Amino acid sequence: MEIATTKRENATILSVTGRIDTATAPALEQAINQEIEHQNRKILLNFSAVNYISSGGLRVLLATAKKLKNPGDRFALCSLSPEVMKILKLAGFTSIFSISPTEGEALAGW
Amino acid sequence: MPDGNTTLTSLVWQPIPGADGAQIYPLIRKIDTISSNSYLIATPDALILIDPGGLPGQAEQMSLVIGECRQEQDRPVFVILTHAHIDHFAGVLGVPAFASAETAIFAVQDLGGMALERGDAKMTQGELLGREIPPMTVGLHLFPPTWEADMNIPVAAAFPNGATVTVTYGRSGSCGGLPSARLEFGNGPALEIFHTPGHSPDSICLRMGGLFLIGDILFAANPGIAGLYGWDQEALIRSLGGVLALMEGCGITTICPGHGRVATAPDAARMLSAVMTDARALSNIAELNSERAGQAAAFAEDCMEQVNELFTIMAGRLYYVSYVMDELGESDMAEQMGALIPGNAIDELLEAFTAFAEEHHRQEHVPVYLALKAGQVVGKLDRTFNKEELTHIIDPTLVTRAGRLLSDYTTMFRGFNPPGEVSECCIVPVIEAIVTGLSVSACSDEDLLSSADDDAAFLQILLSRIGTRPLLEDVAFSLDARERSLKVFVDREHLSDLVTYILEDLVGTGSDQVTIQVQQEDRRVLITVSGNVTAAARSETSKTRSFLTGLCQRAGGSLACTEDGGMHRFVISLGME
Repeated sequence: MEIATTKRENATILSVTGRIDTATAPALEQAINQEIEHQNRKILLNFSAVNYISSGGLRVLLATAKKLKNPGDRFALCSLSPEVMKILKLAGFTSIFSISPTEGEALAGW
Repeated sequence: MPDGNTTLTSLVWQPIPGADGAQIYPLIRKIDTISSNSYLIATPDALILIDPGGLPGQAEQMSLVIGECRQEQDRPVFVILTHAHIDHFAGVLGVPAFASAETAIFAVQDLGGMALERGDAKMTQGELLGREIPPMTVGLHLFPPTWEADMNIPVAAAFPNGATVTVTYGRSGSCGGLPSARLEFGNGPALEIFHTPGHSPDSICLRMGGLFLIGDILFAANPGIAGLYGWDQEALIRSLGGVLALMEGCGITTICPGHGRVATAPDAARMLSAVMTDARALSNIAELNSERAGQAAAFAEDCMEQVNELFTIMAGRLYYVSYVMDELGESDMAEQMGALIPGNAIDELLEAFTAFAEEHHRQEHVPVYLALKAGQVVGKLDRTFNKEELTHIIDPTLVTRAGRLLSDYTTMFRGFNPPGEVSECCIVPVIEAIVTGLSVSACSDEDLLSSADDDAAFLQILLSRIGTRPLLEDVAFSLDARERSLKVFVDREHLSDLVTYILEDLVGTGSDQVTIQVQQEDRRVLITVSGNVTAAARSETSKTRSFLTGLCQRAGGSLACTEDGGMHRFVISLGME
């Protein structure tokens, strides 16, 4: 798994490539936590190149949602592959954070 | 090994209790399908290697120990196989110390001996594991067809390497009545051998003093082992009875299996009794041959992909419940929910299988290895999650489908075919029941209100309300079933699973308009599940399709999938007679 970090319109975008599984989920969590520690509290995860997410990955998403719930905080996902979209939808996660088709749509209103 | 000690240490010489002057050097491996344990027994008159194993390195290692013993005191070498399966002997091929009758005498039960002499790939399981077996020389055939005529008459045999052995056939008498052979190598302690067919026709168990070497009888009823060519249920049950009787009051203290750790006699007796129970349930299983191993391996991969998805969704649901409970200030409950499925352990199991499968395909290994690996993973998964508790919190259909998939794999791998019960039923009410289960919340508002006075009941209903989400609640759904009396032959549980998987696949990938149409066409009933295709590409892969096709066959029907005009259609065809 690889993570590329970019800034756009006050938001930090983490673009993830590869599988988010037991071995890689901690690295994703660490990358997110680093941003939060630097007070970058508007985080968008671009999952366009993620084709697999394990329960360990889901836990990282929920942990992030818990951390980013202060007024002004933002946390969203965008560009999900159908495989990952299906897992998030059937697990009921689509009601916890917003999921958008593109980065632009996700950042509108941030 | 001092008297009273019922354990053996691997790669260490230790005395054999009850067999003065005899020592044993065990090589005990972790359980796998590649190689057995090896046991080297040294008496003043002979070196007896029992099962050299399937790996050349292991056979070489034992040959070095034998060489050291012979340097101290030269003695003839015998190699005895508990049975002629490849994982118990193939390591000797190419190892000079075992290459000729001048250096080692092979002693094998007659049927196994003949199989080795003709290089029988089927009997030795070489065929199943994709290996050719060159013919080997077997110096001593144990229990030849004439053994009963020679009962109680000591017969001396001499071999090209100067070895001699006296064999006396008999029956184990009050201790189980098994055919027995007493092998005497000079004046040292004798080795008793018992013919215990079942796992294979040539299986034997060996006893010296308090040690009992039992080959693979402990595993003979396991999925992926029961049904191997030569496996015989009735013979196995008889042999188990004989072995258990032998272990009662005949001075046996330590049990040395063909694979895995040494056990005490009481522990082994418990395990063997469980094997007996399992074996009794294995009537009419199919033979585990290359074809069935291939089918099992293909099913395993399809099955694991779906199991992975189901467990991820179930774990996700529990995390979601945990998250909401935490939001509500119920942190203890949140923690309990998060721990109901050991997500990390399950992820690791499934990821290990994926890695194994990838390596398996890269190395082009024979299918049975993948099927066996899947069997191990399925067994562990099945023991890992508490179905009863989960069905009260998350969608029961997720839990039952996961359980049924694991059970289907085990059933299929065990050799029962087909796993399913097809019976005649009216199809429309069945479809209606499936759809209702996916449209209506498990707990109504009324249930929630009526539980308000009971803390425990309220919490349970609250958890269930959070943990379950009717799949079709946000979907424009319609059922078109005009002819309500249509009867079909179907396995209802598998049909229910199939329809649910298809609906999940459609809704999960964005379809918001879904229809099910039930209609008769000739002497068949067609159930067409359709959903609109959204901008996002669908996630259904060819592997998913092969899984759904297999599931439909287990339900008693056939499946066709098409995509046109912005609609995705799954057509399930069921017979009316």
